[in-house]
Amino acid sequence: MIGLRRRRGLGRWLAFAAAVAFGLVMLIPFALMVSTAFKPHAYVLEIPPRLIPEAPTLDNFVEAWTSQDFGRYFLNSVIVAVASTTIAVTLGSMLAFAFARYSFPGRRLLFGALLFTMMVPGMVLLIPQFVLARNLGLLNSLAGLIVVYATMNLGLNTFLLRGFFGSMPQEVFEAAAVDGAGVWSSFWLIGVPLARAGIATITLFSFLAAWDEFTWAIISLSDKNLYTLPIAIRSFQRAQATEWGLVFAASLIALAPVLVLFVALQKQFVSGAFVGATKG
Amino acid sequence: MIAAAGGRLAPARPRRRLRRLLPIYGLLLPGLVLYGAWAAWPLLNSFILSFTDWSLTKPLTPVGLANYLRALGDPLFWRALSATLGYTVVTVAGQLVLGLGAALLLNRRIPGRSVLRLVYYLPVITSWVIVSLVFTYLYNGQAGALNWLLVDVLHVLDRPVAWLAEPSTALWAIAVLGIWKGIGWTMVVFLAGLQAVSPELYDAAEVDGAGAWARFRHVTLPELRPTTTFLLVVLTIGGLNAFISIFVMSSAATGTVGGPLNSTDVVLTYLWKQSFAQLDLGYGAALSFLLAAVTGLVSLVELRVAREAAR
Amino acid sequence: MRSPGMRRILALAATAPLLVTACLGGGATPSPTAAPTQAPAGPTAAPPSGPTPTPEISGTVTFWNGYAADGDEIKTFTEVVLPAFNKLYPNIKVEHQEIPYDDLRQKLVTGLAGGTLPDVLRADIIWVPEFADQGALLALDTEMQDFQQLADATFPGPLSTNQWKGHYYGLPLDTNTRVMFYNDKVLADAGVTALPTTVEAFEALAAQVQARLGKKVYAYAEGGTGAWSVLPWIWSFGGGVTNADLTSADGVLNGPGTVAAVTKLKEWLDKGYLSPSILGGGVATSEQFGGGTTASILEGPWMPTIFEKQFPDLTFRYATVPAGPGGSASVVGGEDIVVFKSTPNKDAALAFTRFMLSEEAQRAMGKIGQMPVLKSLSGDSELPDYYPVFQKQLETARARTPSPAWPKIDEAISNAVLKALRGDTPVQDALDEATKIVDRLLAGG
Repeated sequence: MIGLRRRRGLGRWLAFAAAVAFGLVMLIPFALMVSTAFKPHAYVLEIPPRLIPEAPTLDNFVEAWTSQDFGRYFLNSVIVAVASTTIAVTLGSMLAFAFARYSFPGRRLLFGALLFTMMVPGMVLLIPQFVLARNLGLLNSLAGLIVVYATMNLGLNTFLLRGFFGSMPQEVFEAAAVDGAGVWSSFWLIGVPLARAGIATITLFSFLAAWDEFTWAIISLSDKNLYTLPIAIRSFQRAQATEWGLVFAASLIALAPVLVLFVALQKQFVSGAFVGATKG
Repeated sequence: MIAAAGGRLAPARPRRRLRRLLPIYGLLLPGLVLYGAWAAWPLLNSFILSFTDWSLTKPLTPVGLANYLRALGDPLFWRALSATLGYTVVTVAGQLVLGLGAALLLNRRIPGRSVLRLVYYLPVITSWVIVSLVFTYLYNGQAGALNWLLVDVLHVLDRPVAWLAEPSTALWAIAVLGIWKGIGWTMVVFLAGLQAVSPELYDAAEVDGAGAWARFRHVTLPELRPTTTFLLVVLTIGGLNAFISIFVMSSAATGTVGGPLNSTDVVLTYLWKQSFAQLDLGYGAALSFLLAAVTGLVSLVELRVAREAAR
Repeated sequence: MRSPGMRRILALAATAPLLVTACLGGGATPSPTAAPTQAPAGPTAAPPSGPTPTPEISGTVTFWNGYAADGDEIKTFTEVVLPAFNKLYPNIKVEHQEIPYDDLRQKLVTGLAGGTLPDVLRADIIWVPEFADQGALLALDTEMQDFQQLADATFPGPLSTNQWKGHYYGLPLDTNTRVMFYNDKVLADAGVTALPTTVEAFEALAAQVQARLGKKVYAYAEGGTGAWSVLPWIWSFGGGVTNADLTSADGVLNGPGTVAAVTKLKEWLDKGYLSPSILGGGVATSEQFGGGTTASILEGPWMPTIFEKQFPDLTFRYATVPAGPGGSASVVGGEDIVVFKSTPNKDAALAFTRFMLSEEAQRAMGKIGQMPVLKSLSGDSELPDYYPVFQKQLETARARTPSPAWPKIDEAISNAVLKALRGDTPVQDALDEATKIVDRLLAGG
């Protein structure tokens, strides 16, 4: 018995060592990114690579933030990401709940169409979406970004959450029905709380996708006051002589909100995340 | 695929049926309106345009199946498709194996678990464009950190390799990025799956004298089968639609999208060039739907195989 | 998914072409961002585009361009050029948008499909034939009364890039070419004093750099094998891409001059004169040059401002491309200014275009590396002192093949040269293969 416990202790430490080693390997690209962001230009590509910069400087961060209207772009990104995430998560949950828990005419067809749309490359939708946005007067507006980003995430959200709702025990819903709960109260009072982990997960995914998107943004926006962060970061890259330090500094700034969101949500989605989705 | 449907079947009387269905359609309506307008309708437009010769302002001419037939006889399309499949196989396998490994490590009660989880997850939350640039920089043939490590520190190679400029290595170097970026996501899914495995199963196996490997083989793996199936499908769709990393890295390293020598041309980079460089948009649309058909087919096969294996 | 629903969708699709054409309205739809601000043009509207400023013109002009965000280009444009324009035309508001090259391309294509285009565009010279062919551009020679006068004031080379099927669809805005930059410190370390003017002298320099400084320092660095990179050498060796009437590449792209150029590049690469970055995946040429690991690079007139900022201690000299059997030839780059047919505000758009060709605007942008296209500014004392060498090079510089299939031609050249330099395929075979592809593209296949 004692021998077994010791073996387990040893295994735990081995696992710890392996996990740390693997983590370090995973961190290498970040280490380069972070250290480069603190280096002045001339020291960017040096051999051997130096993790701790010789003359660390905050210049890149200062320039990234001040050389353009970075604060405004940051705010625009927050607005667009929060609004589109809210829509994509709310509507995605509603769709997923209906698809998972009820039978109705057209169910197979609608769900099949939803899945098929997920498989078509988004690139081919660009021009028709642009024409639609023009006809609806949504070009050059944050609203135009919000609807497209919400749509972009809706399919995966529905697909993921449908599994969650589908795997919930039928008895819970039956009991509620006896108590007179309708479709909407079953959804809101039982489905949503039980699918918390899944909702946290799709919230993070939707936010991340909206936060990073730049093709649609640059194509549909013409007013610089509406620009989002990825457009600003992209403009730091140029065909000639990219300022790596500047690009990395700008993207580290952009990473912060997603990191905060991850930390805030992480408890939710590790406790039982995907259990539902995977039973699909 | 279709989850257990909880609802009861419609009663006979149409008014009661309507009263039952109305709130359900109410749940569906907002999402379907949004999706219909911004995804299904544009998709339908593109689908129709794939049967035309469409080069922007010039009048549309219907060409029937010509674009599809042209793709089937286009060696560059087949080449791109096979590169896409290769990329997908490697990245899906890599993410599954390493993601499972990471999940098994972090499923134990080891110190600093939540910090490690964050570390593994960092690549997932970083933008594709940025990590593509970082990796381009790592792979640099003259001053990249990878070459420094392999040549000057480990002495595995005797001279540096321009990983993104060698036709034999470029696509796989980009695939490494794809794996690195996806491990965290796969790990989170596996972790959730592992938490659902009942501890009694392990206890029983241990009583039967099963070692660690046997417990993994006969308890963990079978219990994780639904998780694995789900991941397989989602990761495959992602792999077949790989674009940004390849676009950014190939053009940054070789000055040509899909370079060197078209070795990193996947379906989406080829599609981009046809649509936006050549203005051959009808052909581009046809390529998209061919890719979608391949994606659908591969997903179906994966699901079928998984179902067979579960029996 | 083999449900009746799919059939229903297909049935719907059969009726939909009408919807599609209605939806993709073509280039003629006015741009919504510019439409509402057009005010009555007043009594002077009669001569719509007279040569003298008519300050009564009002409205909004949207102007898309690729001016760099981190250099001085945007700054000069917004702080010097625009205020000067608004002094002449206080009622015209210019809404300008700077977009990186690849994204600009995608935005223009989408805009063409959706009929939402800017009024004025700073277009890469290789785009003009393509957009003219789409019927999207105003023929400026018929729209501007003073076109001849404006055209005569510019250099003929850049002007010619605006021609398409007998009309001029734009005016040159800025021009450039690539000349040799030589790093002073590397040359001094290698004991070189005179800059080479011929290929033979350049080769001697390369040998001397290697003898004195070893294999870590190259004589020349290039960042790829695309047309922009290798054409200066191909032309200088007497080679080229197509025959004069652009109908065939046979005997030119695979002819003796091109073969000699590529063979020479391969020899230099193998000897270690040429940095391996030409094969891709290496350090940016500007970084190699600034870091002193190459003696020379071919660069454009925008580069000195960037070097000044990134490598403050760097000093260098300029020279034309070393002359070979084909003389000293380089490649013409630059941008044209074009007006889209869809503009709701033609007078204002043309007034802006005209202003961008004024000495004032050309000089201001010229100071920061956007080389003027006006003959009258040649030798202007306020312009950078390194321009004469670029101007001299421009006298013999040539344009890339004006063809809608250019991106594919470029890819074919790039692949052939890369294969040859890597040693995968003999030079002649690689170029023969490219010639076949280019001939097929020129024939419209």
